[in-house]
Formats: sequence, C-alpha cells, structure tokens
Amino acid sequence: MLQLIVGQLLNGIIVGTLYGIIALGVTLTFGITGIVNFALGAFMAIGAYLCWYLTDEIGVSYPLAVILAVLGTALFGLVADQSLFRFTRNNLINGLIVSIGLISVIQSVLLILWTTTPKNMHYILPGVFNLGWFIVPRMKGTVFLVLLAVILSTYAALTRTWAGRAAYAYAQAPEAAMLMGVRTQLLQTGVVVYSTALAGLGGALYASLYSLEVSMGSSYILKGVEAAILAGIGTVMGSLVGGILLGVTEAVGSLYFPQAYRDAYGLIFLILILLLRPAGLFGAKR
Amino acid sequence: MRAELLWLPLFALPLVLHNEVALTILVFTFILGMLAVSFNLIFGYTGQLSMFHAAAFGIGAYATELSMTNLGVSFWTGAVIAVFIVSVISLCVGTVCFRFRLKEFYFAIVTLACSEIVRLIILNWSGFTNGSLGINLTDTPTLWLPGRGVVPIVGTRMWYYLALVALIIMVSVCTRVVHSWMGRNFAAIRLNDELADTLGINVFRYKLVSFLIGNAGAAVAGAFYAFYLSYIEPNYLSIEQSLAIIAMVLLGGRQPVAGPILGAFVLTALPHVIEFSAELRVLTYGLILIFTILLMPNGIMGVVRRQRHVF
Repeated sequence: MLQLIVGQLLNGIIVGTLYGIIALGVTLTFGITGIVNFALGAFMAIGAYLCWYLTDEIGVSYPLAVILAVLGTALFGLVADQSLFRFTRNNLINGLIVSIGLISVIQSVLLILWTTTPKNMHYILPGVFNLGWFIVPRMKGTVFLVLLAVILSTYAALTRTWAGRAAYAYAQAPEAAMLMGVRTQLLQTGVVVYSTALAGLGGALYASLYSLEVSMGSSYILKGVEAAILAGIGTVMGSLVGGILLGVTEAVGSLYFPQAYRDAYGLIFLILILLLRPAGLFGAKR
Repeated sequence: MRAELLWLPLFALPLVLHNEVALTILVFTFILGMLAVSFNLIFGYTGQLSMFHAAAFGIGAYATELSMTNLGVSFWTGAVIAVFIVSVISLCVGTVCFRFRLKEFYFAIVTLACSEIVRLIILNWSGFTNGSLGINLTDTPTLWLPGRGVVPIVGTRMWYYLALVALIIMVSVCTRVVHSWMGRNFAAIRLNDELADTLGINVFRYKLVSFLIGNAGAAVAGAFYAFYLSYIEPNYLSIEQSLAIIAMVLLGGRQPVAGPILGAFVLTALPHVIEFSAELRVLTYGLILIFTILLMPNGIMGVVRRQRHVF
C-alpha cells in the first residue's frame, strides 16, 4: 500500500510539473499583460504535434525536435501576439474571448493537418530509474527534471537579470516602470511569446509520455489556471508548487475516492483555497 | 416607434420563408438567445462574470427530461421542476460565492469549478443520466392551443412560434427587471459595488437575485433546447458552452436587453450558412469570435447605436 501511495505521489509530482509550466505561463502573462491566455493549452498542442511530426515523420532526433518545436510554437506565439493580443492588453474579457477564438482556430487547423486519430510517439527513453525501493520510468523522470530546470531558471532570470526585474517592476507599477526606461511594448510581447514557448515545451515533452489529441490542451490550461490561482497569481515558484500540489491532490485523491471524479478533487481544493485564502497559498494577504 | 413592434416581422416570417434550414437556424437563435439574454442579466447588467451558466442550462435540460421519465409529469411541469432545482443549486453556489465576496476573475473561476463538478457528476452518474452517451429524448412535449386542444409540438414552424414567444417573454421580463429599482441596484453594483454597499444597497442580496433570475432563465432555455434537439449530453455543461454564451453576449452587445440575440444569431447562423466541413466550421467560428471582438468591442448593437448618433 505504501508503495502505491508513493508511486501515486511521484506520478502526481511529475504531472504537477506539467501543470506548473502552464501555470507559469498563465501567471507571467496575467501579471504583465493583464489577460489570461486560455489559448496556452492550444499552444501546448502545437508544441506536441510539431514534436511528434518532427521525430516520427521526418526523423529528427528527439532533443532537437523538442528545441525546434519550442521555437516553432514561440513563432506562432509571436504572430498571435502581434496580430491579436496586442489589441487586448489589460482587457481581461476581450483577451479571454480572443484566446478562446484562437483555440478554435488552432484546433481546427491541427485537425485539418493531422486528423482526429490520436498520435503515439515511439518510446524515446525506455527503462526505469531505480531509486531504492521504488522505480520511476526514465522518460518521466527526465521530463520532470527538464521542466524543473526550466522553471527554476525562469525564477533565477526574473530575479537576477535586468529584464526580469523590469518585468517585476512593470507588474507592480506600470507607469513608474515606463518612466524608468522599461520598454513596455517589448516586455509585453516578450512575455506573451515566452509563455507560449513554455507551453510548447510542455507539449513537446508531453508528446513523449502520452498519446496526442487535438483537444489535449484544454484540460491542461484549466489545471494551469487552477495551479496559478492556488498558489496566488504572480508568484513564479508558486506556480510550480501549485502545479505539484494539484497533481498530488488528484493522484492521491483518486486512490482513496472514486477515480472518475479525479478532476473534481483539484477543483474542490481550489474552491476551498479561494474561499479561505483569496490571495492564494503563497500570495500576500489582501 | 416602439421597440416591441420590431418583433412583428418575425411572426410573419414563416409565412413567406419556406426554407426549413433557415427556420431551423432561427429556432436555435431564439432558444440560444434566451440563454444569452438571461446570462446578460448577470454579466452585462450586474457585472458578474459567471461561468455557471452552461451548468444551469444543462441542469435545466437534464432535470426536465429526468423528471418527465421518472415522475411521469408533462414537459411544462418538468420545466417548472427544472427551474426550481436550478434555483436551489444557484442559491447554494451564489450564497457561497457572494458571502465570501468573490469578485471578477475569482468569481469566474469558482463558478467554473462548480460548473465542472456538476458536469462530472452528470457524466459519472451513469445509472441516472446515462453518462457520456447522453439521452435520446422520446417524449414529445404537448401544448394546449385555443380551438385545437392539446397538440404535440412537432415541426419547425410550431417550434419557431413557441421559441419566439418564449424569447419575447424572457426579453420583456428582463427588460422589466433592468428598468425597475432592482435593475438600478444591479447597475450600481456593476459600476462600483463598494460604493453601492456604502449607499445602503444590500450587495449580497442583489447579486444573488440577479444570479438566480439569470440561471432560472438558462434552465428554461435548456428545457427547450433539449426537446428541440431531442438529445441531451454532458457537453451541455461544458466550458465551451459557457464561453459560447459569453461570446454571444459580447458579439451582440450588452445593451439593450435584446442585443445578445443578435450574437446568438451570428454564431449559430454564419457557420451554417456557409457549407463547410466540421473543421472549417470550427475555424470560422473562431475567426468570427476574434474579429468581432477586435473590430467591434461593444458588439453589433454598439456599432448600430454609434451609427444612430452620427445621423
């Protein structure tokens, strides 16, 4: 039994980092542009499909395919930002609707290109890591480590570099930041593109673990938004912790309660957090 | 000219228009229009971005059908039971949300979570709701007509008039509400709920009232929609459905009360008018959504109103 719980715990943590990477994108975009980009799930699907197409159909090696998929997704992100999101800055509802429209567009284009058949990528890293008395599939472990590294280095970049501190400054006081010479247009575009790149990375790594469907992103964006709010929107490390908490709640919850309601455990947890600590677990008290 | 007169051409339309597809689109427009108009009471007039509307719509549909099959009541009694059930659930959800003073984004997220939980319950309660397969409705609702007695509601024309009358009733109820003292309290809450509170308006009560009336309207729309389509499935409660309702309202325009009907029309009609495959239909839907929001931030009615000011 203990082994089962630990196994589920690990599974929850790994899925949780996937939620966390989307949550990070949600948090960054919301903090800097004032909109919630619901299309991040669709960008995740773009990344996943690109990665699958490059490795299985063209025959590029997997690490290179991941990099190319991230770059490709970021390029789509740039196009979307310049043609759409640029016009909805700081308008939550319009941004929401535009991103919803974008989901429809991306999903239908993916369907036209690659049909509804689920895509399964061949195994990249077979075998397991043997960690004492429990085992982790090697690929899952690698995905976890890569995502963890990306989230940690994003945190480092935001706190240590000029651009990162400019982003923090802008989130706190846009006008003051502007007066101090922060190039806000560039910053906003950069953040939107970076968040789509993160989603693309999540998707590319997801492709090596699970089978791909066009609508795969829709549950992840929800979990991402949940995780971001759980932790308190605007905290970078919080999105990682929020994602992991959510993943673990679901995984362990479905051990003790019916599996069919898996998605509900995270939601109930979220509702309780929002009611009892509206600023999120790690957010400043309101 | 009184605005009510604008409805008259719609009554005459089936006499001249014999195209079944066009009439079907209009029936959908009327039923989804009811949904959008009732949502607009919560969103457009009280300023609360509720994501619970699809849930109210879906619960309305399920409750009507399930009370008909399990209790053996008629369609109309079933719809009344559905409105009652939806009101009770909305009362619980609304009380929790508004007691804890959830606002804007947080309100949207909590109502979204509640809506998803309801969807999961319907999806997994297979013995009662038939799970993800949905239910094919076999009963035909009946209606008492003067001179003709009790007749089953069949055929596009009959549904057309029924939906149109229901829509008109809903629009007039909403108009009444919006122009009453209650509506003024809603507007005060939308503009600044802290100020409304200091002015002595019971913010909690009026938010709840608006939430209840809106969701009850959605339940009625759900009952009609289910029986017109003869099919219900858990996707009635999906997030996509909630978002489609928001899109209808924004597309049509939040003011006047009937504005969202235009949005419902555009979003149901346009993808059908152009003969497309399913994928391209989703694509057009997305593009319509994006470009109307970017080009007409106040919706179609916003453009119409601006034109009126110019001339």
